[in-house]
Amino acid sequence: MNVQRIASAVLGLALTGSVAACSSGGDGGGSTDGKVTITVQGLPPKTAPAARKSFQTQIAAFEKANPTITVKATDASWDAQTFAAKLAGGRAETVITVPLTEPQGLIARHQVKDLTSELKSWPQYDEYNPKLLAPNKDAATGKVYGLTAPVGSYSMGLVYNRALFAKAGLDPDKPPTTWDELRQAAKAIHDKTGKVGYAETTTNNTGGWHLTSETYSRGGTMEKKQGDRYVPAFTGQPTKDALQLLHDMRFVDNSMGSNQLQNQQDVWRRFGAGEVGMFLDGPSAVVPIVQQFGGRLEDFGAGALPQDGGNATQLGGSAFMVNARATQAEAAAGVKWILFKYVKPYYEPEAAAAQAKTQSADPKNLIGVPEVAGFSDAVQQKVAAARKPYVNVPQANFRPYVEDNAKLELLPEPPVAAQKVYAALDPVVQAVLTKKDADPAALLDKAAEQMAVELEQAK
Amino acid sequence: MSSLDVRSRAAGQVRKEGVVAQRARPRRPGRRLRNDLVALAFLLPALFCFGYFAWWPMVRGLELSFQQTNLVDPAEWVGLQNFRRILDDPLLATAVKNTLLFAGLALVIGFPLPLLLAVQMSTVRRLAGLYRYLVYLPVMLPPVVGVLLWQMFYEPDHGLFNTVLGVVGLGPYPWLQSTHTAMLSLVLEATWAGMGSATLIYLAAITRVPPELYEAAETDGARIWRRLWHITLPQLRGTVLLLLLMQLIATLQVFAEPYLMTDGGPENATVTVLLLIYRYAFVDGDYGAASAMSMLLAVALSLLSAVYLWSTRRWSSS
Repeated sequence: MNVQRIASAVLGLALTGSVAACSSGGDGGGSTDGKVTITVQGLPPKTAPAARKSFQTQIAAFEKANPTITVKATDASWDAQTFAAKLAGGRAETVITVPLTEPQGLIARHQVKDLTSELKSWPQYDEYNPKLLAPNKDAATGKVYGLTAPVGSYSMGLVYNRALFAKAGLDPDKPPTTWDELRQAAKAIHDKTGKVGYAETTTNNTGGWHLTSETYSRGGTMEKKQGDRYVPAFTGQPTKDALQLLHDMRFVDNSMGSNQLQNQQDVWRRFGAGEVGMFLDGPSAVVPIVQQFGGRLEDFGAGALPQDGGNATQLGGSAFMVNARATQAEAAAGVKWILFKYVKPYYEPEAAAAQAKTQSADPKNLIGVPEVAGFSDAVQQKVAAARKPYVNVPQANFRPYVEDNAKLELLPEPPVAAQKVYAALDPVVQAVLTKKDADPAALLDKAAEQMAVELEQAK
Repeated sequence: MSSLDVRSRAAGQVRKEGVVAQRARPRRPGRRLRNDLVALAFLLPALFCFGYFAWWPMVRGLELSFQQTNLVDPAEWVGLQNFRRILDDPLLATAVKNTLLFAGLALVIGFPLPLLLAVQMSTVRRLAGLYRYLVYLPVMLPPVVGVLLWQMFYEPDHGLFNTVLGVVGLGPYPWLQSTHTAMLSLVLEATWAGMGSATLIYLAAITRVPPELYEAAETDGARIWRRLWHITLPQLRGTVLLLLLMQLIATLQVFAEPYLMTDGGPENATVTVLLLIYRYAFVDGDYGAASAMSMLLAVALSLLSAVYLWSTRRWSSS
C-alpha cells in the first residue's frame, strides 16, 4: 500500500460519507411486493470452482425454500479498510463475516444491526451454545448483534508438527499439556532438529491476543471491574509468568529462533514449510496451512492450550453479522441465510450429510476439523455420524485437542476495548522476545498506565 | 555572468516584448469572453476531477476532524475533542520522533545517493541505457513486492544479508528485530525503492549543463570533485532543492515500510504518524481522530514547505 492509497482511503471516507445520504442499503434492497434481495459474503473465488459451485447450489436451495428472498453472493471477504467506505457509501454486503476480534468494536460504533428479535424467534435459539453468542452481544444491554457459527470456530490450542516431534524423540500423540512441558518440548525440537521449537506471533495485535490466552491458562485476567468501570488487570503474576517463560525460551533455551516480528500468516507459512515445531492456534489453522502454505496434512497435530492452574482458554473464529444500513426485512432475510448456511448443518443430520457430500466433491476441502460445539452432545453425535462417511482429515491428529480441550473453560475476550488491550501488549511481547534485559513487570506497568486512560475513555 | 543568467535575461526580454505586442493589439471584449469560455470549457473536466476527488474530500476531511461518526448515523459535532484525544495519545510523541528519524536518515543516506549515481552514470558512455534501466528497476516493482522482498533479505537466521555478510565474517545483525536498527533497515529499503526516479531526474538535469563549463574547468586542471562542487551542484540547484522538498514531504508520510515490515515494532520503534492515522481509522474505527491527525499532518507539511521555500528562495533564484 502506498501513501496515496491510505491518504485517499482516509479522506475518501469523507467523500463516501457525503454519498451515503443519497444511497440505500447496498446492493440488496426491500420492495413493496414482499420480496427482498440481500448480498452476502463468503462466495469462494473462481480459483476454487468446486467450492464456488457448492456455495451457489446452497443459494439455490435457500431461495427455493424462501421464494421471497434473493441472495447475491460476493467473493469479497472482510477488510477493515474497505468496510468503512463501503458502509458509508451504502455498498457493504447485507451479511458480513468478520473475525471474532471485531464484533465488539462494530457493536460499540453501531455499525451492525441489532438482530435480537430475529435470532430469538429461531426455534433452536435456547439450545445454542451461549459461548458462541457471547462475543456478539452487547453486555450492557443484552442485545444480540450476530452469531458465531461452529464452522471455523475454535478454542485457542496448541498446533504442532508431528514429524518434528518424532524427530526430536517426543511422542506425537502426547503434546505438552503444561507450559513447563511445552518449554522442554521446544528445547528438544530445537536441539535435535535445529528448527524453531516454539513460535510466537507479535504483530497486528496478535501478540496481545495470545498473551491473553496465556494469561487465562494461568488463572489471570486482562481487565477487572472497579466500581462502574473496567481497569487493566494484566499486571498480575499470571501475565508476568507468561512473559518470563517466553523470554527464557528465547534467550536461555534459544528455542524460539531469531525472527520475532511476525503475524499469524507468517507463522502459518513457516509452519507449512516445516520450520516451526509448535505455536498457539486452533485446529482450523490446518486449512490455510495445508491449502495455502504447502503443509503436510499428516504432520499437522493439535492439542489443547497448555495450562498452569487456569484451566481455561479463549474462543476464536468468525462472526456473522448484518450491516447497520440493512432494512428490517433485509436483516430478517440475512439471519435466515446465516442459520440456513452456517448453523443448520450443525443440528440437522440431513443438512450435515448434504453439506459434507457437496464439500467432498473437491478433494482439497478438509472435512472433519474439530470445531466448537454449537449444540448438546446428543445433537453433536448425530451430526458427526451423518458427516462421518465424508471425513478426510486424520481424526487421531486432533484427538489430544478434542480430549483435553473439553476440560477447559471457554473465556471471552477482554470485555472493553479488547483490540486496544492487544495493541498495548504487542510491544510488550516484542520487547521480551527481542531484548535480553527486558523487564516484564516494568513493561506491563507501562502498558497498564496507557490502557487505564483508554479504558476510562471507552467507559 | 553565467550562461543561465544570460538565458533567463533573454527569456525575460521575450516575455516583456510579448506583453508589449499584446498591448499593441487590443482584443474586442466579445472575442475575449468567448476565448475565456472556451478555455474554461477545456478546464472543466480537470476542475471537476480535482474538485470532486481531491478538494471536496479535503474539505469533508476537515469537517470530519471536528465530528464523531460511525458513517451510518448522522455525524455528531464534538468540537476539538478529536484533537485533544490525539494530542493525549502517548504514542503520538513516539510516532513524531520516529517519523522525523526516518526523514532524517533518509536525508543523510537516501538524498545524496541518487545525485552521486547520476554524476557517475553521466560519465558512462557504453551501456548507459542498461545502467538507467537497472537503476530504475526497483521503481517499477510494486512497492509491496519490494518491501516483502527486503523483509526476506532481513530474515535474521537465513536471510540474504546475514548470509552474505556471514561469508566475510560479519554479523549476524538483528536488522528489523532490534529497536536500534529497525528504522535504519526501513530507510535502506526505502532508499533502494525510491532512488531510481531521483537518479533519472538528476541525470536529465546534468545533460542540460553546458559542456563548455566542464571543458573550461578541465583546462584549468579541476578534478572530478571540484567539477562536481563548483559546476554540477550550482547548475542543478533548482532540481536539488525541489527534489529535497519532495523527499522531505514523502518521507514524513512514510507508511508502506513500517506497515508491511514491522507493524510499528519492535516496541513501537517504527510507529510513524501515518501508521497511527491508519490504526485510528481502520483498527479503532475512529474516523474523526484519524481525520484530525491527517489535518495536523497536512498543516505541518504545509508549514514546512512554506518555510523551506522561503528560506531557499535566494538560492533557487540567484
